[in-house]
Amino acid sequence: MIESFKQLEEIAANRDLADVFLETDEQEHAVPAEQIVEALRKRRAVMRDCVERGKSSGESMGRLVGHEAELLNKAFQEGRTFLDPLTVKAELYALAVMGENSRMGVIVAAPTAGAGGVVPGMLLALEEERHIEPERTVRALVVAGGIGSIIALSANISGAAGGCQNEVGVASSMGAGGVAYMMGGSTRQCIHAAALALKNTLGLVCDPVGGLVEVPCVKRNALFAVHGLTAAQLALAGVESVIPMDEIVEAMVRIGRSLPRGLRETAEGGLATTDTGTAIAKRLKEEANRRRAEKAAERERAAQERKEHAHDHS
Amino acid sequence: MAVRHDRKVSILDVMGPVMVGPSSSHTAGTARLGRVAREILDEDPTEVHFFLHPPLAATYRGHGSDFALVGGAIGLNVDDPRIPEAIRIAEQMDVTIEFGEEDLGEVHPNTVRILVKGPTREVEITGSSIGGGVIEVFKINGFQTRFKGDSPTLLLFYRDRPGMISEVTQIIADEAINIASLYCSRKQRGKDAFMQIDVDSPLSEEALRRICSTPDVDDARYLDRIP
Repeated sequence: MIESFKQLEEIAANRDLADVFLETDEQEHAVPAEQIVEALRKRRAVMRDCVERGKSSGESMGRLVGHEAELLNKAFQEGRTFLDPLTVKAELYALAVMGENSRMGVIVAAPTAGAGGVVPGMLLALEEERHIEPERTVRALVVAGGIGSIIALSANISGAAGGCQNEVGVASSMGAGGVAYMMGGSTRQCIHAAALALKNTLGLVCDPVGGLVEVPCVKRNALFAVHGLTAAQLALAGVESVIPMDEIVEAMVRIGRSLPRGLRETAEGGLATTDTGTAIAKRLKEEANRRRAEKAAERERAAQERKEHAHDHS
Repeated sequence: MAVRHDRKVSILDVMGPVMVGPSSSHTAGTARLGRVAREILDEDPTEVHFFLHPPLAATYRGHGSDFALVGGAIGLNVDDPRIPEAIRIAEQMDVTIEFGEEDLGEVHPNTVRILVKGPTREVEITGSSIGGGVIEVFKINGFQTRFKGDSPTLLLFYRDRPGMISEVTQIIADEAINIASLYCSRKQRGKDAFMQIDVDSPLSEEALRRICSTPDVDDARYLDRIP
C-alpha cells in the first residue's frame, strides 16, 4: 500500500506512474489491473457521452443553471471566443458534464459528482486538441484516481467534511496530475502538478445556494478545469511546489476542520446567505412545500378512491 | 497529523462511481446506504423509514437524496436512470415511506438511520455517506460494526459462546478464502452477538450452508459488493 506521495515518488521514480498505481491497487483490493483499466475505459466513454449530451441546454432541477454549456459552445462555433481552443474546450466540457449532473443525468463522480466536470473537462479537451490516443486518457484516469486515493487516506472527499477544497480542489489536483502524465511528465512532475493545483484551492468553501449542486458549482468546475491545466503547465516546465504534496493535504484537512459549519455544504453561509442566495432559497422552499402539499392531496385522493372501491366490493 | 483511514479507497472508488447526479455524497452514497438495508433485508420492503442527521436533513431535498435513499431501498443501482422516479415506483409497490430528522450524535454530517421492514423481518442500519459515493455503515441491528460494502461480506447473528469465531473462520479457511477484516460485538455476555466477516473472494454455497448450520447461529446474510 502506498501511504504517502513521498513514498509514491520513491517507488515510481523511474517507472510509469499508471503501472505503479495499477499494481498497488490490484494488490490492495484484489481487482485485476486489466479489470480496473476496462472499467475506466467505460467511464471515459460515459464522460464522453455526458459531454455530448451536455452541450445542449436543459434546465437544472432547481432551475438556477442549465444554459452555460450551450452559450459557450455557440460562441466557440461562431468564432467568438478569444482563448485558445484547449482552454475553451476544458471549460465547455466541464460545463456540459455539470449541466447533465444538475438534471439528474448519468455522470462519473470524479472524485465527487459536484466536482465531476473538472477531470473530464481537462482530460477530454487535451485528448482532442493534442490528438492523444483515448487509451492514454484511460491511463491518465488511473493516475488521477491514484492521486485521489492517496489524498483520501487522510481526507474525507466531501464538501460537508472540508469545504469545496476537498471536492473541486482535489479534482483539479487529480486532473493536473493526469494532464502532466498525458503530456509525458515524470512522476515527480505529475506529483508537483497535483501539488500546485491543490495548494491554490486551499480554503475554498462549500456554500451552495439553496443547498443545490448548481450555484456556484457548475461554473466553478469550468474555472478550476483551467486552473488544473495551468498547474500542469508550470510543473511540466520544472516549477515545483515548495510545500510537499503530503503537507498540502495535511493543511487541507486542518483548514477543513477549522471551517465553520456554515461553510461546509450546509447552505448556511457565504454565497448561500447573500441577499440573492437567501431569496432563491426561499423560493425553492416554497416550491418544495407546494409540491409536497399537492402530493399529499393526491395520496389522500388515491386512498379515498381505494376505500370507496373496497366498499363497492363488500 | 490527520486521521488515517484503515482501508485504502480504490482507484475505481475515487474515479467513480458512474451515477445519477447531482451529488455523490447526497445521491450516490445515500442510494448505496438504502441498498445496504435492502440487501440485508433480502426481500422486497413494505415500509422504509429514514431518520436524517440534522445537517443531512437540511440539505437532502435539493440533492434528490430522498429519491436516492428510496431507490436504494427498493434495489436500484446508483447509475439507474429510474432513480429520479424512485418514490413514484416505490408507491406503486405499496411501500410506506417516512422521512424524519434525528440527532445521531458525533457522526459525519451525512449520516442516516434506516429502518426497513419486509413481510417476514426488519433491518435497521446507521451509516454515513463520507464522500464520492463511499459509505461507512457503523451499526447493523443495534450492533457496532464497520461495513463499507466494498467486498463480499458475511453477516452473522448468533448466540455468544466460546469457540464461535474459530468454528466459523475455520469453515472459511477450509475454502482457502482470505479474510480481509472481521468485526465482532455483542449486546451482553452469552446473549445476542454479531460478526461481520469481509472476504477477498466469494464464499461457496456449501460454506454458507455449513456456517448457517453451526450451532447457535440464528441468522446469516451473505452480501456481494454493494454496487
